[in-house]
Amino acid sequence: MSDSPAIEVRDLVRVFESRKGFLFNEVNRTQALKGVDLTVEPGEIFGLLGPNGAGKTTLVKILSTLLLPTSGTARVLGHDVARDADWLRPRIGLVLGGERGVYTRISGRENLRYFADLYGVPPGEREPRIQAVLERVDLASAADRRVEEYSRGMKQKLHIARGILHRPSILFLDEPTIGLDPKSARETRKLVRSLEGDGVTILLTTHYMFEAEELCPRLAVLSKGRIVANDTVDALRHRVGGDRTIEVEAYGFEDREHAALRALPGVSKVASEEFGPRVRLTLRIRTLETTPAHVAALLPGHPELSVRERRTSLEDVYLDLVEEEAT
Amino acid sequence: MTMATVVGVRRTRVTAASLRLAFLQFIADPQWLVPSMIAPVIFGLVSYELFRGAGPYFLTYAILGAGMMSMWGQTLYGSGWATGQDREFGTLEPTIQAPAPYLYVVLGRIVWNVVAGLFGGLIVYVVVVVAAGGPPALPNPLAFVLLFLFVMVTLACVGIVFAAAYVYTRFAGFIQNIGEFAFYVGTGCMFPVVLLPFWTNPIALLFPPTWALDALRYVSIPGYVGFGWGWGWDLVGAVATTAIYAGIAGTVFHRVERHVLEVGDLSDY
Ligand SMILES: Nc1ncnc2c1ncn2[C@@H]1O[C@H](COP(=O)(O)OP(=O)(O)OP(=O)(O)O)[C@@H](O)[C@H]1O
Ligand SMILES: [Mg+2]
Repeated sequence: MSDSPAIEVRDLVRVFESRKGFLFNEVNRTQALKGVDLTVEPGEIFGLLGPNGAGKTTLVKILSTLLLPTSGTARVLGHDVARDADWLRPRIGLVLGGERGVYTRISGRENLRYFADLYGVPPGEREPRIQAVLERVDLASAADRRVEEYSRGMKQKLHIARGILHRPSILFLDEPTIGLDPKSARETRKLVRSLEGDGVTILLTTHYMFEAEELCPRLAVLSKGRIVANDTVDALRHRVGGDRTIEVEAYGFEDREHAALRALPGVSKVASEEFGPRVRLTLRIRTLETTPAHVAALLPGHPELSVRERRTSLEDVYLDLVEEEAT
Repeated sequence: MTMATVVGVRRTRVTAASLRLAFLQFIADPQWLVPSMIAPVIFGLVSYELFRGAGPYFLTYAILGAGMMSMWGQTLYGSGWATGQDREFGTLEPTIQAPAPYLYVVLGRIVWNVVAGLFGGLIVYVVVVVAAGGPPALPNPLAFVLLFLFVMVTLACVGIVFAAAYVYTRFAGFIQNIGEFAFYVGTGCMFPVVLLPFWTNPIALLFPPTWALDALRYVSIPGYVGFGWGWGWDLVGAVATTAIYAGIAGTVFHRVERHVLEVGDLSDY
């Protein structure tokens, strides 16, 4: 099994039909996934980014056997998600997160006992494993309180605890750090990395670019149901126009200045943003020969001109990609 | 260990886990004490007054009527409603994702509801006996016990089918309310059947407990007329309808699970 991919998605399409109107006679069709191809290798932490409504959760649900594809195929651990759900379910961990999805009138520990039984955790191992998992997500001290008393972040930790309780071979994390305070978010990222050490394959969706950059050597960007990029972070940087970014700020620029900047060697893109009276130009640069000094030399006579260089962040790349898709 | 034994072990474990969860949720929420304890008291008193003086065996009639009403409500509300709650809490998704057949989750809850329903039945018994100043005469105790257990089985079967409806659609509450009404009225739980318009009977006959309850009355109330075709045909009808319900539950559950995965509305409510 180790030579087959952990996740293999081919031309995956998912259409939602929702009915409305008094007699539910009006049908609304949403194409959430429009032909997605994706491969994730065993033991990898793979990131899935994309704007709201892009189809990330839909893809995660299909891969975790909670939703059937409309067409196309999805294989997880070498097994088809539509045909081999019974084989796959005990091997999959799923963290959808959020305020719902747990029994609120009973304690966190009782929630975990219930799901340990449902997932077939060996009875003798149930209690020690629950304790270990609770400690791993830092929820042990609140384990015997009712979940309705939990904060949003504590519920999120309980979701994560449930997701790893039965030691899945593959784990789907849909926005795992949403609602967590910075310390808990960092601990969760540490937990994710430690699971990688255990050999678990992880597919993670997130809206936090630094999280994806920190955890995921490879990632894909989903936009409006399509994969618009799928590569390593460095390769994506290069694809959207280079490693280097120079930011120039002043009280407005003239068109000919714009054109001059664009003509500098290695400049692949000049984006403009307004901040009140200030305008910021962001230059994406592929080569080393164009420096901040070259840029400043082209812009004489601007009061309070600021020119600085920084490394292109994943967020820059991401915004460029999503923008590219929109136009 | 073969796969079959793994699954076999898991089924009883799943049922037990679900029974335990139902119990924990029950004791965590005191509002349930009202319908499960107050309602039987009221049903008991009302039916005592209603059937008073209607022959020597009216006490049994009153107890059975009120007891069934409270058990029926418990089974229906407890089983279907719990799945509706799973939708509302968003717990239906993780439960379906787990490698446990949902049918056995439902079964565990039904066992709990039958136990809770029996408790309600016991309250009715005590209330009516106290009001009447003594227990009723029971001509066939053994047949009574056996048929009583059978009535519980038929109730459980209906509960499973209603739970399937709740998995299938979030609009199942509508169907359930009709079912509950038909049963209360059509079976003569509350009023002797002869007092009711005839058209209510066919609806009630769609429910296995109607038949089983009629048979139960035959054996415990000498001279009972009921539907008028005797306890033998009642039993045949009960077994046949129960078999149909069990068959529906068994085959439908798998398809229902598939259907919701196609539609993708597991977290809607
Ligand atoms: N059950 C459903 N019924 C109808 N439409 C749905 C359903 N679930 C999702 N959709 C639609 O499918 C599209 C993709 O939704 P999805 O939840 O997968 O996006 P997402 O990438 O996870 O977004 P977010 O970042 O906001 O979580 C959206 O247009 C959404 O409205
Ligand atoms: Mg989402």
